[in-house]
Amino acid sequence: MPDKKTITYESEFIDTLNQLLRSNKKLAGAKYFLDTTYHYFHLNTMKTRRPKVIVLGNSIPEEYIYAAGKVPFWILGGSLSTASWADDLVPRDTDPVSQSMLGYLMNDKFNLAKEAVIIVPVTCDSTRKIVFLLKRAGYRVITADIPPNKQEPLALYKWVEQMRRLTEELSAYTGHTITRQSLLEASKVTDRARRLMREFLESIKGREHIISDPLRMVIVNSYYYTENITKWCGQLQSLIKEIKALPCCYNASTMRNKPNVLLMGSPVVFPNYKIPFLIQDIGLRICANADILTEKIYLEEVKKTGRKKEDIFQAIAMVHYKGDCSAAYANNKTLYDRVRYQMKTGNMEGVVYHVLKGQIEYDFELAHYEELFSAYGIPVFRLETDYQYQDVEQIRIRMEAFMEMLVQNQYSSGRYKSYSKEKRA
Amino acid sequence: MSINKQNQNLSQVEQRQRERFISKSTKVAAKYLRRMEELPGAPDEIKPYFEVLRNIYVEQMNIPETNGKKAIGTYCVMVPQELIYAAGAIPVKLCSGSYTAFSIGDDVVPRDACPLVKAVVGFQTMGTMPIYRDCALMVVPVTCDCKKKIAGMLGEMVPTFSLHVPSSKSEDEDMEQFVLELYQLIKVLEQATGQKVTYESLIEGMEQVAYAQYEFSRFLEYRRQTPALIKGTHVMAMMNAYSYMPVEKWSSQLKRLNARLEQNKKNKLYAAKENQPRIMITGSPVIFPNIKLPLLIEEMGGSLIGDETCMGERMLYDPVAVVDESFDGLIRAIANRYTRPCTCPTFVDNTQRIYRIKQMIKDQKVQGVIYHVLRGCLVYDYEYQVLEEELGKIGIPVIRVESDYNEEDIEQLRIRIEAFIEMIKLGGNKNGR
Repeated sequence: MPDKKTITYESEFIDTLNQLLRSNKKLAGAKYFLDTTYHYFHLNTMKTRRPKVIVLGNSIPEEYIYAAGKVPFWILGGSLSTASWADDLVPRDTDPVSQSMLGYLMNDKFNLAKEAVIIVPVTCDSTRKIVFLLKRAGYRVITADIPPNKQEPLALYKWVEQMRRLTEELSAYTGHTITRQSLLEASKVTDRARRLMREFLESIKGREHIISDPLRMVIVNSYYYTENITKWCGQLQSLIKEIKALPCCYNASTMRNKPNVLLMGSPVVFPNYKIPFLIQDIGLRICANADILTEKIYLEEVKKTGRKKEDIFQAIAMVHYKGDCSAAYANNKTLYDRVRYQMKTGNMEGVVYHVLKGQIEYDFELAHYEELFSAYGIPVFRLETDYQYQDVEQIRIRMEAFMEMLVQNQYSSGRYKSYSKEKRA
Repeated sequence: MSINKQNQNLSQVEQRQRERFISKSTKVAAKYLRRMEELPGAPDEIKPYFEVLRNIYVEQMNIPETNGKKAIGTYCVMVPQELIYAAGAIPVKLCSGSYTAFSIGDDVVPRDACPLVKAVVGFQTMGTMPIYRDCALMVVPVTCDCKKKIAGMLGEMVPTFSLHVPSSKSEDEDMEQFVLELYQLIKVLEQATGQKVTYESLIEGMEQVAYAQYEFSRFLEYRRQTPALIKGTHVMAMMNAYSYMPVEKWSSQLKRLNARLEQNKKNKLYAAKENQPRIMITGSPVIFPNIKLPLLIEEMGGSLIGDETCMGERMLYDPVAVVDESFDGLIRAIANRYTRPCTCPTFVDNTQRIYRIKQMIKDQKVQGVIYHVLRGCLVYDYEYQVLEEELGKIGIPVIRVESDYNEEDIEQLRIRIEAFIEMIKLGGNKNGR
């Protein structure tokens, strides 16, 4: 008979998936991505799965792992249940993402890392101490010390050197030599995946009424849950085709006057989708996401012109370093520039700045964004939460007030589209 | 910009705010200084250190006797002072324990940031303290998330160098990276001071710091005595004064203090009774004027005989060990000294810290350990569990004391510390469960 811990774990992701399924009435192709997510989280698969390479967070270029002949198994956090499993291992103020990641690896339900090497980019206090906990528990860990300041002259050199050490250790572990060819093939596959994700987001424009924001987010993020990236790309291509076949409706009644918000800050990771669900319930529309998970799809394509293995290796490192918008840096200029670009090109009316308790780096960055958005008259709503569900109603009340303010802004600026006016016309 | 000129540009309200800030922060500093001075058993030789703290925090003066040298602000013990002296400048450690500055910083940085960072930002924002205002360069070692972000913030206000401390120190590659980092620091220091770091100036800088380390190692021998020859709170004052004194002056004063302790030892003039529980502090640093914890320990009848913190004994451990006498060899030796034996929790694997604490417990006959966690100082909090386990095995009681930069929790802390000391008195430490 399943115990309470098991039931909580399963109900958490199944509830989220059910909610997503219910919201999807029009896209047959979306089912594959929900299935992929289901398969990743299913307890039985967790119990039997023996990944060879586990990656915590998404700061490591996956090209290197594919080139070493392995499929990365990403652990991104997001689960309240796994966070609670690690409660006794970490201090009270630890952020839920780190806690959840540790819970996935150290629990009495499954042993994911039994045969794996765990790659941990040292990006914050919690990750550096998690490495120690994992090593102490006897797991094999490879670390990558991410240079903290992109502005300093040696930062790129240090980043490349860290990646070099990582690939050497990875090669030694997998017994698979990384060659120019394997790097090329890996970068082709990942470039294609990112290109398709961008295309998918483009294809939705004007058809927002056919796909909910949380569903859109889970489809993109299922990239991290697939075991077969080629198949995943094929399915995404079919979905894009299916979407494009549907007519555009820029003025759909369901989307009319829904204020557009940018969701940024701490990344929203499945299954904890309480924030996107809440935004959707209230009647706001997430016009874009700006976080470390989403921004990865906007990485430039790797230049594949070099003749040596080193050229491709460097090109991959360069692309990831340049586009890395992690809050782990002293100055996160990459994300700032991206957000500024989005603000100028998009039609955002407000910003929901999501801060997970303990992720202090995001809180430090908030002041910059408040300054930026206030210059353009865009209100920012700082939302601090964790993976618990007790605060949902409080957040709802605050967010409703925020939405009302955005609607008032629509009225005062004349952007509000009235039905009666339209009929008269 | 001089204070007068700055004041002219301020509105009346801002002017009033600044005056209130100065008045409040100096009063708090003066209060804690008085409490330290009133604590019995302070040798006369400790008084110049009190004077330094008074000059900086109460009189709001700059570092004395700079002789036209530039001041370089540092934020951690991981910044090699030898390099700063070699560049013809004076290092000033800007980590602060000011409650008043903390409350100002609280409005600027996120709520969950550690109080140390809030205090630093508070002083930086108010711009009233000369030691913060007059630094030619800030060197911020990136040892935790808050320091990392503060490096970014400071970089927007003043010339700042963020020193990347490797997360691991066991591999040669980590050391190579830190050596490169130190060469970068030298470049930046030379730009800031306009003086080249030469072989000779580096040797001189190393000798100055090594002398301080030598005198400090002698001092530690006296500190180990039973009963204690000096109060732990007074040692804290001495260690805090190191942040604001030219190293030569600090060392020569310590030499005089050591001579006095030698005399006191001969004359059996002790600062504590033989049966007083011997307590050690570890964890987050105790920085003036946030001296409430050592004061409470000694006021409640404990004898504070050791501290494993970056504001205490960790600051001046072993000297630089030179193997290769070339310039590069000296830099490598400095890089080694500042990382390999360092027990800062910034390192992924910090098991060394447990060995160090166990060694201190043995050498200094410690009966109980107080684990100080400043709210938001996550890296120290992570290490508590392992330490508690290890000390439990050898029957040494340990309590975790979480605190902030305010006086509101003093009575709660007093009750906990009193109970802890009573437990030790009753032989609680012999119970190895």
